[in-house]
Amino acid sequence: MPKTDPIVAKAVDLFKTYGDTDNQVTALDHVSVDFRRGELTAIMGPSGSGKSTLMHCMAGLDTPTSGRVLVEDLEVSSMNQKQLTQLRRKEIGFIFQSFNLVPTLTAEENILLPLQIAHRPIDRAWFRKVVGVVGLENRLDHRPSQLSGGQQQRVACARAMMERPSVIFADEPTGNLDSRSSREVLEFLRQCVRDYGQSIVMVTHDPRAASFADRVLVLSDGSITQDMDHPSYDDILAVFAEHDDPDNGPVDVESAKEA
Amino acid sequence: MFRIGLRDTKAHFRRFIMSIIAIALGVAFVVGSFCFREMLNDQVAQMMGSNSDADVYVRGATEQKKDGEDSLGSYNSTYNEISTDVIADIEKVDGVVSADATHQLSNVVLLDHDGDAMTTVGAPTLVIGVDTDDPWRSAHFVSGEYPQTDSEIALLEDTADKAGLKTGDTAKIVVDGEVHEMTVSGVFTSPSTQLGAILILARPSFVEHTLQQEGEDTSSVQFIGVYGDKTTPLDAEAQQQLADRINKELPKGADAHAVTGDSVRDDATKSIQDQLGFIQPLILIFAAIALFVGAFIIANTFTMIVRESMRGYALLRSVGASPLQVFASVLVQAVILGVVGSGIGVLLGWGLLEAIAKGMTSGGMPLSGSPAPSATDVVVGVIVGVVVTIIGATLPAKTAATAPPIQAMNETVNPEKPVRARGWIGVVMVVVGAAWWTLCYLDAAKRVDWQWLKDMGSGWTLGLGAGFVIIGAIVCAPAFVAPAAKALGWLPSKAFPVTGKLATRNIGRAKRRTANTAAALFIGVAIVSCLGVVASSMKTSVSNLVDNNVNADYVAMTASMTQPISTKAVDAIEKTDGVGASSAVYMLPTVEATNAGKDVMTAAIKTDLLTKLAPIESQEGDAAKAIDDGEAAIGRTVADDEHWKIGDVIDLESENTSVDEDATKQASEAYRKQIEEQAAALQAEAQRLAASGNATGAQIKAKEAENVVKQAQDVDPKRFVKTKTETKKERIRIGAIIDDSLYSDSIFVSLPTAEKLTGEDMMMVTQMYVQAKPGADVAKLGEDLKKTAKPFYTVSILTRDEFKSSMSSMINSMLAIIYALLALSIIIAIFGIVNTLALNVSERTKEIGLLRAIGTSNGQVRGMLAIEAVILSVFGTLAGIVVGVAAGVVIRIAYESQGMTTLAIPWDQLVLFLVAAILVGLVASISPARRALKQPVLDAVASE
Repeated sequence: MPKTDPIVAKAVDLFKTYGDTDNQVTALDHVSVDFRRGELTAIMGPSGSGKSTLMHCMAGLDTPTSGRVLVEDLEVSSMNQKQLTQLRRKEIGFIFQSFNLVPTLTAEENILLPLQIAHRPIDRAWFRKVVGVVGLENRLDHRPSQLSGGQQQRVACARAMMERPSVIFADEPTGNLDSRSSREVLEFLRQCVRDYGQSIVMVTHDPRAASFADRVLVLSDGSITQDMDHPSYDDILAVFAEHDDPDNGPVDVESAKEA
Repeated sequence: MFRIGLRDTKAHFRRFIMSIIAIALGVAFVVGSFCFREMLNDQVAQMMGSNSDADVYVRGATEQKKDGEDSLGSYNSTYNEISTDVIADIEKVDGVVSADATHQLSNVVLLDHDGDAMTTVGAPTLVIGVDTDDPWRSAHFVSGEYPQTDSEIALLEDTADKAGLKTGDTAKIVVDGEVHEMTVSGVFTSPSTQLGAILILARPSFVEHTLQQEGEDTSSVQFIGVYGDKTTPLDAEAQQQLADRINKELPKGADAHAVTGDSVRDDATKSIQDQLGFIQPLILIFAAIALFVGAFIIANTFTMIVRESMRGYALLRSVGASPLQVFASVLVQAVILGVVGSGIGVLLGWGLLEAIAKGMTSGGMPLSGSPAPSATDVVVGVIVGVVVTIIGATLPAKTAATAPPIQAMNETVNPEKPVRARGWIGVVMVVVGAAWWTLCYLDAAKRVDWQWLKDMGSGWTLGLGAGFVIIGAIVCAPAFVAPAAKALGWLPSKAFPVTGKLATRNIGRAKRRTANTAAALFIGVAIVSCLGVVASSMKTSVSNLVDNNVNADYVAMTASMTQPISTKAVDAIEKTDGVGASSAVYMLPTVEATNAGKDVMTAAIKTDLLTKLAPIESQEGDAAKAIDDGEAAIGRTVADDEHWKIGDVIDLESENTSVDEDATKQASEAYRKQIEEQAAALQAEAQRLAASGNATGAQIKAKEAENVVKQAQDVDPKRFVKTKTETKKERIRIGAIIDDSLYSDSIFVSLPTAEKLTGEDMMMVTQMYVQAKPGADVAKLGEDLKKTAKPFYTVSILTRDEFKSSMSSMINSMLAIIYALLALSIIIAIFGIVNTLALNVSERTKEIGLLRAIGTSNGQVRGMLAIEAVILSVFGTLAGIVVGVAAGVVIRIAYESQGMTTLAIPWDQLVLFLVAAILVGLVASISPARRALKQPVLDAVASE
């Protein structure tokens, strides 16, 4: 199903607070943003900047206090459970930091799981292509516990790609990986965007990971402060050096604590 | 640490609800079983207190060993009988108000005001011989008084109410097939309820006369009851003093001894209580199941709580708490839980008992025993509950205490220890159990002839086998969880490819937990399917027996358990028009085979039974001819047990008591003579006085003489009846051995042979088979037989089908009790499954979140958990059915010679169990699924 709208998902005036009235924390402060089709978009920002909240609201995992979220012109923010399930089956794919594979299923079964859950036919040619790209041909019979972290995350990537969703949300996909595995996963994500026109939204606080993106959004205190097109690693570092908050410490330090 | 434990308990209270219910149920069973026993004990003691209320009892002084006696009478048959002649001696003792040997009739049927026979649930109908001279101190008359004549009776108020009779009414009682019309002289109560027994008071002379007619010796008794006061019982000291005084006066030759009433009551109470004791282990089995599940649920709950609180414990540890302190903080919760659960359990057990007491009262068995738990019960209940809770919580508490703080911070599920070794141990145990069963089978099927095996008896081999198989199955179950899940999951995996597959694999993840959860169902289902197989085999065997071996058109049976069919009824049935062949089965309770190792019943029959009514299919020799020739035919079981062959001789012996005509005549003659002398003396005195001019004195004396004669005329001639006991012996050759199971366990002789040993009065007919004359109208014969039986009240005429169903209905009512207990164990098993699923869900929070994030609908999550639960419950149920049916098959073989000839597996019932298991699984999955779905997807997958 070819989609022509250049915007795959957008947030309109998103506002989100946590806690009760006495102790209110504003996570998103009236954010409006469009995510373009066929692009790898990275969302960056220090801890508590609201980057994860933004992604969770976009993916229908969290409901905003006010404002609207649209994915493929479907209003996510007002969907009920059933509609959300349908949305997740057709339009949205996920990649998580902690891989989140089903431990009882083999790599192949994990990759095919979303299609089976949705009772959709399996495109074997596409399956071989995806498996080939992530380089898991010899590991398909293995259980997650028999795979390395990088391999597990590649299985998770393949799983997200299998259903060819409108948009894949990746939440710190390289957070638990060493630098070599991170590179492999990021290369794969970029290849999906380039070769197959996949739209991907990735939350990260690693400038190196963000440098693989077509576009980088920087959040700070619930608002978008930067919107960079194809920035280089140095561009990103420069932005963070500028915004470096002495109380928060350097951005890189934070990544180790996230686990 | 204590405070932390307390706060945690408060925070986790919702989690604890299920554990509390399980512990409460287990404790309720334990306390209930103890209370039940105490209630019955209390009741028995009360009944003893009012029914055997004499202050002193005089009994035989020589102890007698008698094995295999009728169990209910065993407590008073350990001393020699004493002659009633000593009553006169006792009555002379200072302080004795009355001494009396009270006789009872137990084979009487009371008809209610509609003329229907009154029946009881197990309780006896007793006619007690008492009157104003020999009173029963505990009887208090509500209206009327003691019977004054032999045609009067007094009724217990409960009996009178149920029968719809009141003082002055005419009541009918059936004694030995004869209907007596009696006037109700009074209605009385006793201090304790009589458990639904029908109590009738009649004059001692009536009771004794009836007993003499039945051939009982009334001149010697087990006990003579002595009252020291007409209205109030003596205290222990006064009882002892009175007993001592009586002992001094008792003639040496009487071989008698006086003991206090209290000691007799205590002995009797204890022996009855021992007989009722069997109920308790049965309840305790289910208590054990409940507590096992309870401990297991607690372990699961604490595992969950500990898992969720790991970060908290790690924090405590990192700020310096010792492992012991963390351990204690978890155990504090367990103790609180145990105390709360046990407390509720004690109350629940009490309530249960109150309900049972109410139920029994409304079912015609009023209880005055108190169902309230004693202090010991409460303490035992609470200790059991708390100990079980602590056992359940120890392992999780240890995990909490010993995990290194850093590992505790991370959420990891430790992989299970391998189950292979456990599997092998369990399999070996099952094999050992199966070997015992095989031995039992080999012995029963006579494949081997090993003495030690025979000595052990089938009870032991069966029991050992069952024990090994059940424990072995529980031990090895974890090793079979994965294969079983694969097999059982095949169908759901086909029907629901994704959820089915996920569920099937999830089952195999925590093998021990799965197996333990299934174990509760396993035990319950095993017990019930075993009983189901045995019961249905019994029913089918009986019905096959009737179909194939019994050609009788009608069976006459006694409607009252205690009263045999009277010989008059037998005669009347035989003479009914249309009766062709017929034979009563005359049991000979007085006849004993003295050269047999075991107690063997001897019965007298007509050969028609063997040839026409229930023809023999397989025999050695010719039973009909042998019996006609005055020889015996014996059953195969008897022949095997006693190693008897054709040509061997059985020594039959019977101790008969009958009215001694000569002695009776002599006694009444002697009395007559004594009166005559007395009257003559008085007459002489009167004449002397008249001669001396004292006219008034002479008149008085003449009057006295008249009175003496008149009194003598009023004296009941029955009073002089003397009985005698004679032992008759016959040596009878075995002429045939019958293989048919109908005849397997008795010795059969002809009526004439039996009459050589004992009188017709001593033969008991419990069944009579009747066949229509060839060409006669069978239906009409049935009508006629019913008409014939009507005046005998207690004889029922059953068609073949009725005969069959009369057997089944007995078995069914026994099964009903077991099923009720099973229902409770299933409820407990459901808790176990719910709890295990809840723990699984809590461990898999992330995984379920992920599944939902990638598009799994709520229905699919529910389905997955439902399939898991169903596989789990079906696993336990199937294992239970397999083991239970196997046990049933072995039991059936072991008792084949005792009539369980046909194996019948109640497939419909077993299928019902499976369907129930599936439903149980579905129901059990509802709440854990709800909990899983309540968790937001975000919480499950968010990494921050």
